Amino acid sequence: MSLLLKNISLPLESFALGMDVEVRGRVTAVFGPSGAGKTSLLDLIAGLRRAPSAFIQLDDRVLTDTAKHFSVPTHQRGIGYVPQDLALFPHLSVRQNLLYGCKPGGAAGRLFSFDHVIEILEIQPLTSRGVTELSGGEKQRVALARALLASPRLLLLDEPLASLDAPLKAKIIPYLTRIRDEFRIPMLCVTHDRSEALALADEIIVLVNGQVLQTGPVLDVFNRPASADVAAIAGVETLQAGVITDSHEGLATVKIHGATLTALAPATGTREVFVCIRGEDVILQRDAAASSVRNRLPARIMALRPEGALVRVELDAGFPLFALVTRPACAELALREGEPVTALIKTPAIHLVPR
Amino acid sequence: MTLGEWQIVWFTAWVSALSTLVILPFGLALAWALAWRDWPGKSIVETLVSLPLVMPPVATGLILLKLFGRRGAIGGFLHDRLNFDVIFTWRAVLLALSVMSLPLLVRSARVAFEEVNPRLEQIARTLGSGGWRVFFTITVPLAARGIVAGMILAFARALGEFGATIMVAGNIPGKTSTLSLTIFQDVQIGQDSSAFRLLGVSVVLAFAAVWFSEFLLRRKRKTR
Amino acid sequence: MTSERTKDFKPGVFRKAYHLCGRLVPIILKPAADRKIKLETNQPGAADVRASGGILQKLNDMKKTLVCALLLFTVARIQAAEISVFAAASLTDSLKEIAAGYEKTSGDKITFNFAASSTLARQIEEGAPADIFFSADEAKMDGLEKKGLIDTATRKSRLGNALVVVVTADSPLQIRSAGDLTNAAVKQIALADPKAVPAGIYAQAWLTRQQLWPAIEPKIVPTENVRAALAAVESGNVEAGVVYKTDAGISKKVKVAYEVPAGDAPAISYPMAMVKESSQPDAAKKFLNYLDSKEAGDIFKKFGFILRD
Repeated sequence: MSLLLKNISLPLESFALGMDVEVRGRVTAVFGPSGAGKTSLLDLIAGLRRAPSAFIQLDDRVLTDTAKHFSVPTHQRGIGYVPQDLALFPHLSVRQNLLYGCKPGGAAGRLFSFDHVIEILEIQPLTSRGVTELSGGEKQRVALARALLASPRLLLLDEPLASLDAPLKAKIIPYLTRIRDEFRIPMLCVTHDRSEALALADEIIVLVNGQVLQTGPVLDVFNRPASADVAAIAGVETLQAGVITDSHEGLATVKIHGATLTALAPATGTREVFVCIRGEDVILQRDAAASSVRNRLPARIMALRPEGALVRVELDAGFPLFALVTRPACAELALREGEPVTALIKTPAIHLVPR
Repeated sequence: MTLGEWQIVWFTAWVSALSTLVILPFGLALAWALAWRDWPGKSIVETLVSLPLVMPPVATGLILLKLFGRRGAIGGFLHDRLNFDVIFTWRAVLLALSVMSLPLLVRSARVAFEEVNPRLEQIARTLGSGGWRVFFTITVPLAARGIVAGMILAFARALGEFGATIMVAGNIPGKTSTLSLTIFQDVQIGQDSSAFRLLGVSVVLAFAAVWFSEFLLRRKRKTR
Repeated sequence: MTSERTKDFKPGVFRKAYHLCGRLVPIILKPAADRKIKLETNQPGAADVRASGGILQKLNDMKKTLVCALLLFTVARIQAAEISVFAAASLTDSLKEIAAGYEKTSGDKITFNFAASSTLARQIEEGAPADIFFSADEAKMDGLEKKGLIDTATRKSRLGNALVVVVTADSPLQIRSAGDLTNAAVKQIALADPKAVPAGIYAQAWLTRQQLWPAIEPKIVPTENVRAALAAVESGNVEAGVVYKTDAGISKKVKVAYEVPAGDAPAISYPMAMVKESSQPDAAKKFLNYLDSKEAGDIFKKFGFILRD
């Protein structure tokens, strides 16, 4: 699937949205702080909004070309949309909601069969209910199913997990990954939560104040932010793939490239995770004295980068690990490149994201 | 109540009902257009639609008389080309009732349309519904209570219409005699008892209509 | 003559009123005058004031004139009466002209209420403040007389009228007899409401006598009063109308297609009388007398009414 977004220019309240990107991945996250114009972008792609300048092409079909005053009306675009407030039709039953987008002519015209979709999203018992009787998670799944049953060629999701609490988020993510894997529909997710981006997306577009700051595979962008702005948003210095080898009494043992860490076990029983450690949470020590910290990693200093009052220390602890310490601390410990140190990371500071 | 009086009640009721049906498509279209964002000329249309509510009914009747009379812009065309007369026939009653009750329907329906979440309409479009389908499957059902309340108000207004009706339809026995016209005439010629009987029927009908309209609106507020 | 009498009367009233004021003012204003004298005696320069008792005198004079003027105004109002005449719609133009002349010479003011005689009778029954009732048929007057609302002594019927069939001035229709009204070309006929209004009652009576009423009744458009029937024909919304000859006479937009012969229709008679509850009986009777006079008669004849003196 290829989605071309060229010459996009849309003035919003305090800034203008401007883009020139090609979206290719299976699942792409549009990532940025709230109010960056992400919802407006989705509206634009779906044809719900007009821009003074835009060229939008999905695969081989031009949807919007302002230069030629051409715009395919929304209902002919074949783009599914799950908005943040889900917009389930309150006057219709769940079943009627689901069937709303289905084209007449039975199963022939549909990409996915009705039964298949409700089976994957586990909403069979809900079909006869009214929309207002559903819980938050159930509504989310119904909204997703409804969009899928309209046989879209692209699915737009606006902050799909934002309004859910942590346990519910963990429950919904597998459904989204199922949609990605079973139905193979390209998805464009808008989010301001990096765990969501990590969990769902292959590719990511970082959008801040209406401007694209960086695009690329998720890990690349988070690990190698192109600018301080992106880094600030990504908010994570150390991001590595890991595997949970053991989970016991709420604590999990995670292996990253040979190093072993103790972290809080994630809610779901996944084994493959991303390990996120913020630089501020890494403490450096000269010797390996006993302390309450469970994670004591021997490491070697690879580089020191002053950043104002702080120094960014790049370590090799069996995997690249970043620490942020103050300049006086750096001087006091006489940190130098090539020197061995012990990195201490408190267990609760290690953030595991299922992948 | 004599048979003649019941016939007058029946005539008034069915012409009022017919006028409510006749104004429904125009009223909904106008209400929906006015519920939309701004468009050029919107304030003028808004004011025109509200005029029959505010102007003296006989003034509105006079305008209709001039327009639809045989020498009028519309009436002349109808009479000369189609041999079709409006003034002094039951069609004039229908015209007067429609014009006078339209603003009430438009007001209620407009408020109802404005309360429909536009996001729902947008999502319906992404699901493949064109404009008309969205209107009839999403907008109207969600605005239904307000629309029905408006229709009932319009019906009640039509039942009681006098000023414009007497201007364009006169009070021709058996052809254009409505409840209110007959009450007026009965008082004129001293038949007070007949007038009071018809007055009683009017009160009952109006009470029932307004009560039902309020009931619907109350139910709507409860489910929100 | 009455007019000369009223001219003389006023100055005499003025003189009387002035002398009355002269007597009243000191009585009314004595306490105030006393207070003023008391005040002034206690102040320096009081001697001057006492000496110029002239100021007080002038003050008294001013107040005298003011009270005078007030009394005069009231008296003058009582002298010039305002009478309210409830009259049939067909009398509109003729009565207005008659009243204009009368007001100039008598000093009285005439206000009119023109409507269908049935409406007016109803209003008088409900207590409307009429001084004179001028009906287009005897039945309405009889009705009020039975209820004791009319001063029978003043009742007089002087005027008659004729019925005509009118069509629009440019109409090609030919009505040569009552029967022609049954033609298909005549789709609607405007009449003052035959249930109540005299003009309509006369018309129905005429057509009933010709045994045409059942055939013509479905075409009838009843109107509020005879002038409304005339207006309906003028507007072109009906093909024909039956009105008084006098109504047809004042309109340029209609023409008389057929005049109903006197023998075919019932006799049309316009009784006039004073309403018993009138607040201006003298003035009302005076006007009624004038309506019976030659001058008034000439005006009525000018408009086409038939005089039956």
